[in-house]
Amino acid sequence: MNGFLEYVPGDSFLHHMNPVAKLAAAFLLVIACFATSSFVVLALVIALDAFLALRCNMVRQTLGLARAVAAFSLLLALIAILFTPKGAVLVALPWGYIGTESIVAAVRIVVRLVACAVPLFLVFYVTKLTDMANAMCKVLHVPYKYAFTFTSTVRFIPVFMNDMAAIMEAQTARGVEFDGSFARKVRLMVPLCVPLLVSSVRKTNSAAIAAEVRGFNLRTRESGYKEYPLGGIDAAAVAASVVAVALGIAANVVGLL
Amino acid sequence: MIEFVNVSAAYDGETPVLRDVSLTVNDGDFVAFVGTNGAGKSTTMRLMNGLLKPSEGTVLIDGVPTSELRTSELARRVGFLFQNPDRQICCQTVREELMFGFAAQGRDDAEAARRVDEVIEQFGFDADAEPFLLNRGTRQLLALASIIVMRPPVIILDEPTTGLDFRECEKVMALVAQLHKEGTTVVMVCHDMEVVADYACRVVVMTQGRVVDDGPTFEVLRRADTLAQAHLVLPQILDVAQRLERELPACPSAIARAMTVDEMARAVEAAARKTGAGADADDAALSAATNKEGEAR
Repeated sequence: MNGFLEYVPGDSFLHHMNPVAKLAAAFLLVIACFATSSFVVLALVIALDAFLALRCNMVRQTLGLARAVAAFSLLLALIAILFTPKGAVLVALPWGYIGTESIVAAVRIVVRLVACAVPLFLVFYVTKLTDMANAMCKVLHVPYKYAFTFTSTVRFIPVFMNDMAAIMEAQTARGVEFDGSFARKVRLMVPLCVPLLVSSVRKTNSAAIAAEVRGFNLRTRESGYKEYPLGGIDAAAVAASVVAVALGIAANVVGLL
Repeated sequence: MIEFVNVSAAYDGETPVLRDVSLTVNDGDFVAFVGTNGAGKSTTMRLMNGLLKPSEGTVLIDGVPTSELRTSELARRVGFLFQNPDRQICCQTVREELMFGFAAQGRDDAEAARRVDEVIEQFGFDADAEPFLLNRGTRQLLALASIIVMRPPVIILDEPTTGLDFRECEKVMALVAQLHKEGTTVVMVCHDMEVVADYACRVVVMTQGRVVDDGPTFEVLRRADTLAQAHLVLPQILDVAQRLERELPACPSAIARAMTVDEMARAVEAAARKTGAGADADDAALSAATNKEGEAR
């Protein structure tokens, strides 16, 4: 079973695309989502997300991710409702009001974040991190040090999540009850950040030493034997994402809902 | 008393890592679970203190299913020492760390403070030391102390000697043996068969999620087929004893039954004396003494 942001092997066209093209297309879709206020364009991006998830057999992970992002964005939506007094007054507040446009803005935030998060996360599920780092060096000429830093950050996320789960389990065994309200959970989890931080620093230090002794500093752009040529599908994906950005901007200009 | 009744368990809800396990850990037992990695030992430990609920069957602690006990109640009855102390330690000072369990269970009163003081003195800790700056062995001792201070009737040790040097290992196990002597039930997962032979009274052998053997340490460790099935290697002294018994038909039973270096040394010394003096009584007396010691262990 694969964990959060861990590569899932497959044979879809997304798996075979150039890692840099995948990353570029995902970032362009993010730009498209933030460049537009149109629900139609956002819905199109979500439809595209669903298509991609289906093609790479990642529906379960995508739905889970969409749920998590939606839950997180609810907080931002709440702030938008309370502090963006726009449109016809629905509820008067001491510092302003909740308007019809406040509700629309809140819904837009949730839809936008879900639409733009999915492609970014899918990239990590369909790309080996070593390929990502190597392609960044070969194609974008990013120094390996920075590419490695980027991929290590992503790689350590599931590791730290597992560590946190193990730490919580150890505290549960000592009688700490993590059930209850959200505020109580947060209060109980704060002290657990200490062991997590300590283990993170120790792990990072060990990883750095291991990399050093294996000649990390000697690595250059030419060290990797694998080439990452850009193919037709890569160009098509990037072009489609550029079209999405243009559509988003055009929808704003013409005032499409 | 901990009872497993036809227990199966799975982490993903599909692939069972424990299959139809039934066993009982009686009060005052010192049980070692042995087997290869992935045999289901740690899963069994997690079921014992309710960290994992069985997918089938029931785990009972003093007759109550773990699914019906609250976390704090389970922690009060069963202490759990993890393999990696750094996952357990979370406070700024040794004293706070020892008080943490009491605070989690809402029992951080004067009695708790008194017990913490006692344990600090017993272990020779610096009460104000930063736990994460202690060495690995001392951190493991602190993790053990933070369990002991709660005085649970059962303690579970998940590979307690991993990463410790011989001196630290001896210190930890001597403490555990002392606790067992005072009536605490000890359940231990251990890959070090020397430690198992030296301390455990009973051994449960697991492989592929099933119990393949369960009995007194001396008996289980003499069953070659069980050891082979679980890919276990005999402690060296038992290996020597068995080879001597096999190769020398006249080998005194005291030598064949020796489980520690001390027992073996005494048995060989007695055998040498017997050969020299021709006194049969020596062997009989020594066999009896060794058997008595083995039973006591």
